[in-house]
Amino acid sequence: MADHPRVTAPSRRRRVRLAGFGFSTPWIIGFLLFMAGPIFVSLYYSFTEFNLFQPPKWVGLENYAALFGDPKFLRSIVNTAVFAIIGVPLGLVLALLVALSLNFPVRGQPLYRAIVYLPAIVPVVTATYLWRWVFNAQYGYLNVLLGHLGLPQPNWLVDPFWTRPSVIIITLWGIGGTAVIYLAALQQVPQQLYEAAAVDGANAWHRFRYVTWPTLTPVTLFQLIMGMIAALQIFAPTFLLTQDRNNAASGGPGDTLLSYTMYLFQNAFVFLRMGQAAAMAWILFLVIGALTVLILLSSRRWVHYGSE
Amino acid sequence: MTIRFSYLWTGAAAKALEGIIASFNASQSDIVVKGVSDPDQQAQLAAMTGSKGAFDISDNFATVTGSWASKGVVKSLDEYIQRDKFDLADFVPAALNACRYNNQVYQLPIAVNDSAMLYNKTLFEKAGIEKPPSTTGEWASAIAELTRSSSKGITQLGFCGTSSAAVDYRLLGVAHGGEWYHNNNPTPTDPGNIAGASFYVDNVIKKYGIKQIDRFASGFGDYQSPQAPFYQGKLAMVIDGEWQPAFIQQFAPNLDWGVAPVPYPDGRPELANTTMLAPGTLFIPSNTQHPDEAWEFMKYLVSKDTMRTFSKALSNLPSRRSLLKDKAYSTIKNFDVFLNLMASKNAKSMPSEPTLAQYTSDLATADDQITRLAKTPAAAYAEVAKLAKSYG
Repeated sequence: MADHPRVTAPSRRRRVRLAGFGFSTPWIIGFLLFMAGPIFVSLYYSFTEFNLFQPPKWVGLENYAALFGDPKFLRSIVNTAVFAIIGVPLGLVLALLVALSLNFPVRGQPLYRAIVYLPAIVPVVTATYLWRWVFNAQYGYLNVLLGHLGLPQPNWLVDPFWTRPSVIIITLWGIGGTAVIYLAALQQVPQQLYEAAAVDGANAWHRFRYVTWPTLTPVTLFQLIMGMIAALQIFAPTFLLTQDRNNAASGGPGDTLLSYTMYLFQNAFVFLRMGQAAAMAWILFLVIGALTVLILLSSRRWVHYGSE
Repeated sequence: MTIRFSYLWTGAAAKALEGIIASFNASQSDIVVKGVSDPDQQAQLAAMTGSKGAFDISDNFATVTGSWASKGVVKSLDEYIQRDKFDLADFVPAALNACRYNNQVYQLPIAVNDSAMLYNKTLFEKAGIEKPPSTTGEWASAIAELTRSSSKGITQLGFCGTSSAAVDYRLLGVAHGGEWYHNNNPTPTDPGNIAGASFYVDNVIKKYGIKQIDRFASGFGDYQSPQAPFYQGKLAMVIDGEWQPAFIQQFAPNLDWGVAPVPYPDGRPELANTTMLAPGTLFIPSNTQHPDEAWEFMKYLVSKDTMRTFSKALSNLPSRRSLLKDKAYSTIKNFDVFLNLMASKNAKSMPSEPTLAQYTSDLATADDQITRLAKTPAAAYAEVAKLAKSYG
């Protein structure tokens, strides 16, 4: 057999690298053109007064300064914080409880699992319109149920005190996705750990606290970050619950449903203040980035990886 | 030459428009109009940002005039109006005024909305009230006489919003002699505006309780459904627009109802027959390649015969004074009151200033605070006045 031409390791590596670039070029071009370009242009717009139709006018930090003196901007931050601070942990706890109960070996288990996941595939628009009826103060299922139980029947979508809890309930309805991920993680917990714990005399709570929970922490970290991002960007339910005729800007009763992205949308497309909308987008981007870093830093204290 | 007419109207209105477009195309051989129904206002806006437009003529509302004209989005129609000596005198002044910005006409009104007070004749009869109130004093006592409660809450209400506690504070203010703009500047704290809101707060909200009214009003179905409280005969009076005759025909054909102008304050008969007009309008975007042809078609759309056909198909009001007494509308029940209000000297419209969208949004927040008794009308509108200083 003739000798193969000698190929040096570095040149092979270079060829592999080139091929890699070759395959990813379409995506890179698309990213630069359709994502990176607009992202950086929006950064520029955030320092300008821009109404879509006339050339942008440089105003420096004016948009940012104006936002912090704008009561609606602050209102939208408070509303969004409520969705995130209450909704996200509540969603995680409930999803975990659902996953734990779905993990019990009972008859019909696959069916229950499917039922729990079902709401997650209902489009958010459909779900929100359905919930509008569930929340109807007089005839809604929820209040009929509360009435039978002798509990107070709030005016969910009209009373400013109950509007935000309503939105949180709507988002909780879709925890099936989170629960399914937890369920998958639960099934990864090594059985021998439970056996060892049982031998050591651990009760159910101990088994959960010292065996199950530590193995679930990496998944919890992931779901916490994703849930936080989704909560800070919440748009569809609040928009659909407050939507008015004629492209008008509404924030719901007492402006309690004015979420951050909704006010961003109103600035951009109702008031035609693209500069201020771009500034809002960048503030949100930075806040999400900062919160993600904070959560990741905190994770060193509470997330356990199997190898450790 | 083909031009594109993109319109926000859908359903029956779109069908009527297609008939009108076909007639126009058949009436001459120079211009072919292609109509397309697209109710997406964001798409409409986006189409006008490029250098080459996606359509040559479209529609919106008079409320966008100032904002769009000041940004150069729409063409001024003045040169065409002067060139063709196009007669504007026949248009209802308040409808046309809302289409002006800096003394130039940017849009033409075609189908107009106005508001009046609808009342349930059966409930009035049962309560022994012979005619609808014409002054606010009569109105206040009628509201009291027409409201019923049980241990479970309000069972019948004299007056509130169409499907919530919120009412048309703009109209109530104007009916009390208020003005929302003066010399192009927002004037939310005008005493009339405060008096209008106070009338409702004092005679309805404070008397029957916001929580009770909320529960009553939101317990019914959606606005456009047979379950709306006025259609169900549970709400005696409501302020609503001229499209209601058609809606009631569809949703509550057995309802015995009448309509009257919004009552005027006691001792101020000069404020009788007040209404607010909201004109639906036609405009030519600045980025059209065929403005001349678009103008020709616009003239056809607002011509007397076309306007009659179109406004009747929509059960909207025509914007031409010469059509206000037209027999064509006599088949629509109770439409005459709405038509007569158009001709009233107290037919007003919101001036279309560039700040209107922002102002409307801030007023909505204030209205909500007023309805929930979170702030007095004076305090809530003072807050808007403060915000309005930074509209720039």
